[in-house]
Amino acid sequence: MSAYTKYSEQELVALLLQQNDQAFSYLYDNYSPALFGIINQIVPDKELASDVLQDVFINIWRKIRSYDQTKGRLFTWMLNIARNAAIDKLRSRPYQDNLKNQPLAENVNSTAANSVIGPQVNDVGLKKLINKLKDEYRVLIDLSYFQGFTHEEIAKLLNIPLGTVKTRIRSALIQLRTLI
Amino acid sequence: MNIQEYISSGIVESYVLGLASPEERIEFEEMCAQHPELVEARNNFELSLEEQARKNVVPPPMGAKEKILSAIQQSSASKTSKLISMEPTTRRSSGLRWIAAAAIILFLVGGFLAFKFYNENKDLKTELRSSQDAQAQLDQRLKKMEDEEKVMNDPHTTVVNMVGLQGSPLSANIYWDSTSANVYMIVKNMPKLPSDKQYQLWALIDKKPVDLGLFDGGEKVILKMNNTQKADAFAITIENRGNTGGPNLQELQSMGKAKL
Repeated sequence: MSAYTKYSEQELVALLLQQNDQAFSYLYDNYSPALFGIINQIVPDKELASDVLQDVFINIWRKIRSYDQTKGRLFTWMLNIARNAAIDKLRSRPYQDNLKNQPLAENVNSTAANSVIGPQVNDVGLKKLINKLKDEYRVLIDLSYFQGFTHEEIAKLLNIPLGTVKTRIRSALIQLRTLI
Repeated sequence: MNIQEYISSGIVESYVLGLASPEERIEFEEMCAQHPELVEARNNFELSLEEQARKNVVPPPMGAKEKILSAIQQSSASKTSKLISMEPTTRRSSGLRWIAAAAIILFLVGGFLAFKFYNENKDLKTELRSSQDAQAQLDQRLKKMEDEEKVMNDPHTTVVNMVGLQGSPLSANIYWDSTSANVYMIVKNMPKLPSDKQYQLWALIDKKPVDLGLFDGGEKVILKMNNTQKADAFAITIENRGNTGGPNLQELQSMGKAKL
């Protein structure tokens, strides 16, 4: 740990493209806690979240070539990989079966209903910020960002027009911007 | 919409958080290429998001890193071995090629055999059908001969010997079963006629001629003639082919009495 090198994002990407193990080790040490934090906010089960984290880093290693620096920062790219992987896990059969021995559709509804009515389980990170949003915004961000529902699905779920969903999510994001 | 409005429309956050639609993403990326201030806004939000995430870290479980490292080392190890050791790879791929070749050969052989068997089967079916036809024809002939024999040996059968008149070499036997009314004629010798002429057999019943059928001449043929219950005598004439009228007695060739 003493001779620990610190890389800039660009150096890191360049080394990762060469499949440099050391750079990858650094990447893990430097980013895994933050990414695990996000994964945890989506998948509360620690063991499953740990599976997701592994998938995420293996995917980062394999897909580093598809990262485009002009489109955003490395962290943003990894964050989106983590979010997608976590949502995939959330929607996977084993997870859903584990949750309840009920048909998937009912599950989707009950999950949504929980997040609408229930208190905010995970009062950390982005979720903490989201809790500061207006109720109608909070629900929309929770469903779209943390549960990965499409705008169409949310419109159906909450029985509000699709256009309203879109504008409210935009407003919610604008509000979120001021809170971050 | 000017760029400031666009920046503050929430699209930046939507894009960075992965909530934008594919169309919105494309539009956003195009706008970024034209407006450095948009890139700056995006970068600022990304940085604050990262900062936010770093304030809320959760340490991953022990051993997770080791698992990931060994997983990627395995995948990269298999990758390097693929790169360095050309031989096993080629061998494997040539093995695959052999398997593919064998599969193609098997497929072709299988196809050929299927085609061959199909044709053989078709031929056998045709042969079987022609054998069956031949068998049926033989059966028919046998049945006919049995019938003829029955007639000939039947005590009720009258045999009429027909001989040629006026030096004609014509010679035939008529077998007439008066109970069944069957009439058979064994042609022993009847000179060939021009193609527009035919022989005709008549039964004379109460001195009136009744047609028993037209036939071509030849040698040693058994003909089944029309039935007649009655006959005083039989006569053979030469008629135009397909004659439907009465007998041309000028051309009477033979005459035989049925009743002795």
